[in-house]
Amino acid sequence: MAEELMDVLNEADELDEAEDLGEDTQKGKFMTFRIGEKCYGIAINYVSEIIGAQSITPVPEVEDYIKGLINIRGKIIPVIDVKVRFQEEPFDYTDRTCIIVIDVKSTTVGLIVEQIADVITVDEKSIIPPPSLNPNSYGRDRYVFGLVRVVDEVKLLLDPEKLIRDEDPTMLE
Amino acid sequence: MAEDFNTDSMLDMFLYESDQLLGELQNTVLEKKDEDCFDETSINEIFRVMHTIKGSSGIMMYENITKVSHKLEDVFYYLRESHPENVPHLELVDHVLDVADFITGELDKIKEGETPDGDETKIVEDIDKFLKRLKSGVEEKGEELPPENTYVAPSQFYIAPTGSESNKYFKASIYYRSDTEMCNIRAYTAVYSLKEVVEDLEYMPGDIITNEDSGAVILEDGFHMLIKCQCSKDDIVNAIGDTSGMDRVEINDCTQQEFEMGFHDHGPEHIVIEMEEKDKEEDNKGKKKAPQPGDYVIKGKETGKGKKLAKSQPKPSHKQSYISVNVEKMDALMDMIGELVISEAVVLQNPDLKVPGLDLTNFQKAAGQLAKITTELQDVIMSMRMMPLTNTFQKMNRIVFDTSRKLGKDIELEVIGENTEVDKNIIEHISDPLMHLIRNSVDHGIEDKEDRIAAGKNPRGKITLEAKNEGGKVYIIVRDDGKGLNKQVLYNKARNNGLIGNRPMSDYTDREIYQFITYAGFSTKEQVTELSGRGVGMDVVVKNIQAIGGKLEIDSMEGAGSEMTMKIPLTLAIINGIVMQVASSTFVIETNAVKEFVRITREMIVKEPNGEEYVMLRGECYPFIRLNEFYHLSDNVTDIEDGIVVLLEHENKYVSVFIDQLIAEQEIVVKPIPSYVKRVRGISGCTQLGDGSIALILDIAGLIAGQERS
Repeated sequence: MAEELMDVLNEADELDEAEDLGEDTQKGKFMTFRIGEKCYGIAINYVSEIIGAQSITPVPEVEDYIKGLINIRGKIIPVIDVKVRFQEEPFDYTDRTCIIVIDVKSTTVGLIVEQIADVITVDEKSIIPPPSLNPNSYGRDRYVFGLVRVVDEVKLLLDPEKLIRDEDPTMLE
Repeated sequence: MAEDFNTDSMLDMFLYESDQLLGELQNTVLEKKDEDCFDETSINEIFRVMHTIKGSSGIMMYENITKVSHKLEDVFYYLRESHPENVPHLELVDHVLDVADFITGELDKIKEGETPDGDETKIVEDIDKFLKRLKSGVEEKGEELPPENTYVAPSQFYIAPTGSESNKYFKASIYYRSDTEMCNIRAYTAVYSLKEVVEDLEYMPGDIITNEDSGAVILEDGFHMLIKCQCSKDDIVNAIGDTSGMDRVEINDCTQQEFEMGFHDHGPEHIVIEMEEKDKEEDNKGKKKAPQPGDYVIKGKETGKGKKLAKSQPKPSHKQSYISVNVEKMDALMDMIGELVISEAVVLQNPDLKVPGLDLTNFQKAAGQLAKITTELQDVIMSMRMMPLTNTFQKMNRIVFDTSRKLGKDIELEVIGENTEVDKNIIEHISDPLMHLIRNSVDHGIEDKEDRIAAGKNPRGKITLEAKNEGGKVYIIVRDDGKGLNKQVLYNKARNNGLIGNRPMSDYTDREIYQFITYAGFSTKEQVTELSGRGVGMDVVVKNIQAIGGKLEIDSMEGAGSEMTMKIPLTLAIINGIVMQVASSTFVIETNAVKEFVRITREMIVKEPNGEEYVMLRGECYPFIRLNEFYHLSDNVTDIEDGIVVLLEHENKYVSVFIDQLIAEQEIVVKPIPSYVKRVRGISGCTQLGDGSIALILDIAGLIAGQERS
């Protein structure tokens, strides 16, 4: 009896450790995706799932980047077009278009991206803050909290909280 | 030990149980309030409830609750044992309700995460006086007093024996140095540490926890214990340890008989009585003294009562088998079932099945079975959310009782159809408005006794609370046989308060005039009373009812009474809706709001120079909204004669909406628009259609408001 109990306890401990590791394994990992020419990354612990493009129900009179609502397993969530959010030209949705479902502070939002790239591991030290004093810092750059160079490409790391928070002066009432 | 003892689940259990018990208690009391005395069953019932609450609050260490419930239990113990006559029944009812209120108040504090710090002294004293009066009444008649109800407040000096063979018995005495302070607490520490090793323990003085003065006694005479255990003398000495201030410890063997005799001049009963008296003294004088000796008790009680709990466990006390489920889980289940129904449709109407010449007999059979199960599943989950109104109505009983007594009116409440079931969300929302309506009836509706007699009515007023199901709605009716509403007074008042402009009274129907009382800032009662009449209230009631999609209808007959009817949807979650299409968007409108569908001709549209449009229907003129323009949609039907006009009504205001085409009428599950999306005017929610796509639910009130603003 006692031994069994000990075993169970040990297993529980191991599980705990595994979970701890789980959090560690997410650290420094970024989901990257392409929008136009650029490659963006988003910390993987925000990402809850990735789904293919599906029919989106538009909601009238909302910000242009909110494309509408989608239904994932009975939950209705809003989706935003990241490219429009960055005030770039909208793109046509194809088979390769994906929706990254992210959870930020209990708000669930889908991000429409042109193409999913891969998951990269980034050393925290190699993240460079975006160049300040940029006169055009309004727009995309305020969503980017850091840059990282992987092989010969610069990836822009996004701050999802800023991405979905509304401080857009052009916002409709 | 107590620190790492997780009380969360126990606390939940305690709160839940106590709530239930208090509910039961109030019902029993209110049922019998008009009789001359409690019958035996209800006395037993109240006794049992108090006993349970006392026990469980003891475990949870809410001392004030324990004391109050103990006191009341005493009263009922006495009633049960000696059947005294001439019990002032109403006074007793008051006491019981006081106690119930006190405990409810404390429980609320606990729920809020506060400490239940209510002062129980007054209630305990009142009940004590009451009990003494009862007893003296009996003594005068020369009847014999029953033995004291000697339940001891949590077993602080007695540990239930676990019953083992090789027991040894010791007599231990601890003496403290004469300069030691707070000997009683030191002694208690010793008792506490001994509890770990001994089977059974008695000590003297017995009131070390509750009586600070016992410290002096211990200092003088030493602290004596009778111990039953399986360990050796040395173990006991070790357990007691070497507390500072301790002079010496004496441990002598003794026999079982000696042990069982206890401290002969301090039998347990004696101790109890003394303790109670000391309790009161302490409460009176040392309420604020900190640190209270009781504060220190925490650990000890936990252990002691823990054993008691275990002992009482085998008692099968479950009458009903309910489990409480987190609402979130229910909602998740409901989502899943909704999804299941949709996937079922996707499978059964799969285009792959449409291949000609396919033999689908078996498939159709299986599909039929599946459809049946999913429908049943849906029914079950819906019924799980339904709860009878019983509890809500019972609360009203109490309100009528309280308010009518405060106002000196004699009112009886009749309850009809309390078993009517309503969605849980709705029940939560109707409690407040209902309470208000009832109070209004008691306060404003029912006249004083004299007036009633003068009007030739039964001096006893009557309020009827009725619930019934009708046409997918629940009707909750509050009816009184009071003085009714005076139309002239209402009209004048509304006019004087500037609520209605200058239209003459003949412009309004009776019902419209009654509705005035629901306008904000309207109160017909000249005197503001404690209970109602501040002029806020009815408008809040109506808002609350509207918030859940219901409405309030008022009817009255002057001199004969009034009737307030709340019409409330059975459930919030599901509405009957009409699905329609505008351009590529699908919208849903609640069926109840739709007055009619019409195809109109161009001539019926009146366009004002400012661009506003109206539609003329049978000589009436209604505002006209082109939904496509309203929401800036494209690719829709533009020719008036190709589309359909839907006439909508909300609170007697009309608006007509132009749409492309109708799709179907169906039951829809209302879901909120995710909060991330800003509120869109005229849209109140969204829903999933059978094919998994999403439709937006139009909010008529919003459309009308938007129209009026523009």
